[in-house]
Amino acid sequence: MKIMVCPLNGPRPVAEFAYGGEVRRSPDPNTCSDAEWSSYVFNRSGSPGAKYEWWCHIASGFWFVALRDTTRDVVIATFPAEAVRRGLPTPGATVGPAPAISGGAA
Amino acid sequence: MMHRLEVHAGEWLDRSVAVRFSFEGREYQGYSGDTISSALAAVGMPYLARSFKYHRPRGILSFANHDSNTLFQVDGVPNVRGDVTLLREGMRVTALNTFGGLWQDKARVLDRFARLLPVGFYYKAFHSKRWFPHWERMFRALTGLGEVNLHAAREATPKRYGFCDVLVIGGGPSGLSAALAAAQSGAQVALVDESPRLGGSDAPPALVRAVQESGSITLYLATIAAGYYADHWVALASPSRMTKMRARAVVFATGVIEQPAVFRNNDLPGVMLASGAARLLARHSVAPGRRVVIIAANLEAYVTCLELHSRGVPVAAIVELRTTAESHSAVTSCAALGLPILQAHAPYEAIRGPDGAVAGLRVAPLNAAGRVDADSSRHIECDAILMSVGWAAAAQLFLQAGGSTQFSEGLQQFIPTELPQGIFAAGRMNGVYDGESRLADGRRAGSQAAAHAGLGVPSSAMVARSARCPSHRFAIIDHPKAKNFVDFDEDLQVKDLENAAQEGFDSSELLKRYSTVGMGPSQGKHSNMNALRVLARFRGVGVDQLGLTTARPMYHPVPMKLLAGRSFYPERRTPIDAQHAALGAVWMPAGNWRRPEFYAVSGESRAQSIDAEVRAVREGVGIIDVGTLGKIEVYGPGAAELLDRVYTGRFSDLKVGMTRYGLMLDESGVIIDDGVIARLAEQMFYFTTTTGGSATVFRELQRLNALWGLDCALVNVTGHRAAFNFAGPFSREVLQELTDIDLRDEAFPYLAVRSGQVAGAAARLMRVGFVGELGYEIHVAAGRGSDVWQALFAAGAPRALRPFGVEAQRVLRLEKGHLIVGQDTDGLTDPNEANALWAVAMKKPFFVGQRSLRILQARGPRQKLVGIELAAATPLPKECHLVIDQGAIAGRVTSVTYSRALNKSIGLAMLSPELAQVGRDIQIRVDNGAMLAARVVAAPFYDPKGLRQKAGLGA
Amino acid sequence: MFARHDSLQAGYDVVIIGAGGHGLAAAYYLARDHGIRNVAVLDKGYLGGGNTGRNTTIIRSNYLTPEGVKFYDESVRLWQDLGEDFDLNLFYSTRGHYTLAHTDSAMRTMRWRAEVNKHYGVRSEAVDAAFVKRGIPSIDMTCGGHAPILGALFHEPGAIARHDAVAWGYGRGADRRGVEIHQQTEVTGIRLQGGRVVGVDTTRGPIATSKVLCAVAGFTPRILDMVDLHTPIYVHPLQAMVSEPVKPWLDPIIVSGSLHVYVSQTARGELVMGASLDPYELHATRPTLDFVEGLASHMLDMFPFLSEVKVNRQWAGLADMTPDFAPIMGVTPVEGFYLDAGWGTWGFKATPVCGKTMSHTVATGRNHPLIEGFGFDRFARYQLTGEKGAASVGH
Repeated sequence: MKIMVCPLNGPRPVAEFAYGGEVRRSPDPNTCSDAEWSSYVFNRSGSPGAKYEWWCHIASGFWFVALRDTTRDVVIATFPAEAVRRGLPTPGATVGPAPAISGGAA
Repeated sequence: MMHRLEVHAGEWLDRSVAVRFSFEGREYQGYSGDTISSALAAVGMPYLARSFKYHRPRGILSFANHDSNTLFQVDGVPNVRGDVTLLREGMRVTALNTFGGLWQDKARVLDRFARLLPVGFYYKAFHSKRWFPHWERMFRALTGLGEVNLHAAREATPKRYGFCDVLVIGGGPSGLSAALAAAQSGAQVALVDESPRLGGSDAPPALVRAVQESGSITLYLATIAAGYYADHWVALASPSRMTKMRARAVVFATGVIEQPAVFRNNDLPGVMLASGAARLLARHSVAPGRRVVIIAANLEAYVTCLELHSRGVPVAAIVELRTTAESHSAVTSCAALGLPILQAHAPYEAIRGPDGAVAGLRVAPLNAAGRVDADSSRHIECDAILMSVGWAAAAQLFLQAGGSTQFSEGLQQFIPTELPQGIFAAGRMNGVYDGESRLADGRRAGSQAAAHAGLGVPSSAMVARSARCPSHRFAIIDHPKAKNFVDFDEDLQVKDLENAAQEGFDSSELLKRYSTVGMGPSQGKHSNMNALRVLARFRGVGVDQLGLTTARPMYHPVPMKLLAGRSFYPERRTPIDAQHAALGAVWMPAGNWRRPEFYAVSGESRAQSIDAEVRAVREGVGIIDVGTLGKIEVYGPGAAELLDRVYTGRFSDLKVGMTRYGLMLDESGVIIDDGVIARLAEQMFYFTTTTGGSATVFRELQRLNALWGLDCALVNVTGHRAAFNFAGPFSREVLQELTDIDLRDEAFPYLAVRSGQVAGAAARLMRVGFVGELGYEIHVAAGRGSDVWQALFAAGAPRALRPFGVEAQRVLRLEKGHLIVGQDTDGLTDPNEANALWAVAMKKPFFVGQRSLRILQARGPRQKLVGIELAAATPLPKECHLVIDQGAIAGRVTSVTYSRALNKSIGLAMLSPELAQVGRDIQIRVDNGAMLAARVVAAPFYDPKGLRQKAGLGA
Repeated sequence: MFARHDSLQAGYDVVIIGAGGHGLAAAYYLARDHGIRNVAVLDKGYLGGGNTGRNTTIIRSNYLTPEGVKFYDESVRLWQDLGEDFDLNLFYSTRGHYTLAHTDSAMRTMRWRAEVNKHYGVRSEAVDAAFVKRGIPSIDMTCGGHAPILGALFHEPGAIARHDAVAWGYGRGADRRGVEIHQQTEVTGIRLQGGRVVGVDTTRGPIATSKVLCAVAGFTPRILDMVDLHTPIYVHPLQAMVSEPVKPWLDPIIVSGSLHVYVSQTARGELVMGASLDPYELHATRPTLDFVEGLASHMLDMFPFLSEVKVNRQWAGLADMTPDFAPIMGVTPVEGFYLDAGWGTWGFKATPVCGKTMSHTVATGRNHPLIEGFGFDRFARYQLTGEKGAASVGH
């Protein structure tokens, strides 16, 4: 079984974790168009690559962000959930884009 | 004919213990230590099985479970591996898939039609739509191997978790030395081998002893490494259990698998792999025959001949495919013993004797181009033919681990090229074949694996791959009459593969799928290499230009019992579970919980019991265990903001001491959960979720809270708290006796929440109206739940309190028109469609789903949830019966019940917006196709103003 | 069965990406029904090597939504004649299909599906426990005490077929009609001019074409990136396993949503077994041990006597999932780019009808009426299909 390294609990079998999907950037719900909003709600970046994802260590209820290569199933780095608000670095770059927030509210 | 020899020093038999068994209904005897195959061989059985397709007689081929010739039905168990299954006293063994028994198998006629059954035959015939079902019945009678005993009981085997620094797969010389080297570096080592004894066929006894005596090496013998999974997680299957082994590093010392020569009738009983014959001889003292011919293309052939000779087994000829054998003492010894060596000769055709087994071999000279001169062939009488022409790397697990291999022309074998992190290869599968170099290669790999695990210094030794070629490049001999088998499991001949390639199935994967080569129980162990060679010749390319087919678990088939283990089902029970049982609860599942559907009372029917439960709530007092609801507390300055964002309603303006219904949406605006939110203090809320949604809702709220960084914390207290709904006109009167909380309306109004004592336990009381009567949800610590329930029960007795179950609650809530998320809504229902916009505060700055809901409202509802009623005399439709309008589907009934209180049938229905008008008549189609008339009405049906729950009317 | 072409032509009327069942079926019907024969089918691997050869071969039409039922019912109709059309035995075998219900809410869903099915003339019934026991006498009706069977959706036309043969049949039929099948030919880019398709770049050189059909299942997002289209498609692995052959004892196809099992027995006597999707995104077909452990355990809950029956092999495919468990088909905002995707775990059974409807769509440039509910733009319009309601184990 895959080993996932949790920033709080260390290496644990992946069965102890829940996958929360890709970290996605929400447009401002008050100013965006319907098309932008529906694209945010439904569309996904389906191609393989290094992606930021939400993961939760179920037993401890701890959410964090993992940068994972979805072709090799290798976690490249993990980040605390706050990093999503502060801005995650572009995979492979050092400077991050604007805050990516899933869930809408600023 | 095979037969047992005199006692031999190294044999694995205990000849003082005879083991009786039956085969095909007749009694035989073997010895303790025999396998099924060796015992049958020892008694001289001419053949042991019938082949899968043509029902040709078959005998031992690999004696290593690398073919399916020796699968048996044993004591009701199908497909038992005769080569490796130890004989037990009283075993009843039969051949598989015969019609009238092994000796008189009626299906043997299929062999005569073999010419008419080319590759892909079944695809090309019998496909008339009309006739296929008929043919199919025949195929299904002929197909399959062993028979499942439909009355066998489930076997629950244990599982074990193992951990080690270095896992060594393979207990031959290189594996043993790898294990020892790793242990000497300080590693905890696990060593796995299929065989019940350590050492493979030729390990130095001192090495075996050193491994056995090492305190750091755990042995897993008679155990298969069945599959390699991510991060060095390896399934080890022994006959009695599966061990899930987590290693830091893995050494693959998995060896090589001997490959057959391919020539006409190479599947006759008595034709076998030399390594199998050598094992039978050494371990079980069974001679392959009384006059043996060996087909040779490597050194191992000569070593085998010397062993046969030393045990007194006559070798009639060594048919050497090569023009000259290598110069080696084994070769010169054979020559010195006068064993006839026919150089540059090939087997042309094995001859069948009257008993079905081999009686001779026709050999022919082989020219430099690899062609046989059939005209110059001659016959050699023999009763056994051994094949020693080459090997294939047992690289399946290595490939599963992500290793890559490349075909070596020099070794005629795939050898490892790239090794993933923590993966090491050693020994013959690594192309290192002889003597000391195998040991050195093992030491190197063991040391490197230990170093990978952080122990010791990695060996920098370079061990050279074998200089000699142990495998012939094309030990495949054409014959105009074919029957030269490549795959013994699937009865595939050379021409079958060539014909498949001719038809365009000319890549290794397509060839496999069309011809089924390698798809039988032995998964290509004895056939894939030769199939590749046939394909390479056909395509005119080298084997290196053809890829291997993907290697997938299992390495050997694994019984489902080992994979399944003991079934483990977490089941949650509320603190009141025992009381429910004592009260006659009839259970129903609710997520991981079980809940009373109703309480059976002797003398009452199910309907009567449910009806009585409903009446108790409407007219007296009832109690239901609602402890399965999700229960969450949220604390902190940001608590109200969090709830405002995750629920559609507004909670920041909820007064302390009050509750409010909450509806939860997903981002697309679909209803996913609901519950009641109580404000216990300015910065503390307590709320419930649906039973099924509690875990996922809690987890998502945690995520959103982590994302938003609001100053609050969530605690899931679902299991910490017991909860009851205590309802009915007399609920206040009864409850007041047990609590210090003032229950009068002025002190504790409808929808309020209060804390205090109930029956001596700290409790939270919420005045709710789900069932439409005066009622209180009582939440106490789980440990006190049972006491409080009993106290309520006792106090309610004078008012004829009845416990009620989920069914009665459904009736009660339906009379009130309350929806159940997931039953009255589906995966696309929004609050507008569910008539629940009253619970949505669209003016809030934000809540999850709000933006989508705006779009959905502009789009307009696709359906609407409405109340319906049917006349009392109308039969009751079922939930999910359809509403039909002008011949088209126009909706469905989501909930329905007969209401005694209203004396009519009522329900909820999801209708097309055109029909969803109060007063509209609709038609419901029921099971027999009949239409029932119903009418759309306003809900709630019962006490529409809610006076009973609000003002406590009815007492 | 099919020719090997040494080189690509400079241009084709239609290029189909993906030589699986769907792509080959579209090519076949383009050539047979629409007279469009100058067609290339490209595949980066080999013919039928993706999900066509990795699924559990179940064919059924017991869907929940009218658009789903009509679409799959047409597919079942086509399936039944395919063997004679191809002159090839697909081992299409009608076995009956039980979707077991272990809870009263599952029973409601079964009734919903049955009622919708019957409305469109599809033979499905919500049946009780006694009916299930008669149909599958060997099953443990309590499932080891963990999940008693209350009833089922019984779908009489439920069938299995030899999956590889379907690709071969369509491939041969297309090949004979002049379609070129190019294996080991990977598409590396799609050329657009003014928002229209003008060509395709491949590892074997460029091709000029004005029409491209993308039928690549789990690889769809990579192709969509080439034309800058965004969809809800996400990819999770779907695993399966097969037992050794045993004498046939299981006639119908059994599905249990609660136990996450579906199983049938092939014409070779093997039990083919599947379960639910892997829990997270992955673009690799690696197997997991958890999968076989869980599936074996649930199999033995239903059929305890299989304890000694051995699992021979496990494998995986890449499932292109959508949020409403329905495909995304037809025209797209890029002119000349047609999509046949979002086939998740349910694509095999739709092979013939996809070929029919997509060939029509490609030939005419307009969506076939049967696929109107599966349009590319339905998410933007918040007009999702309702198939999600039936999503227990949707195979």
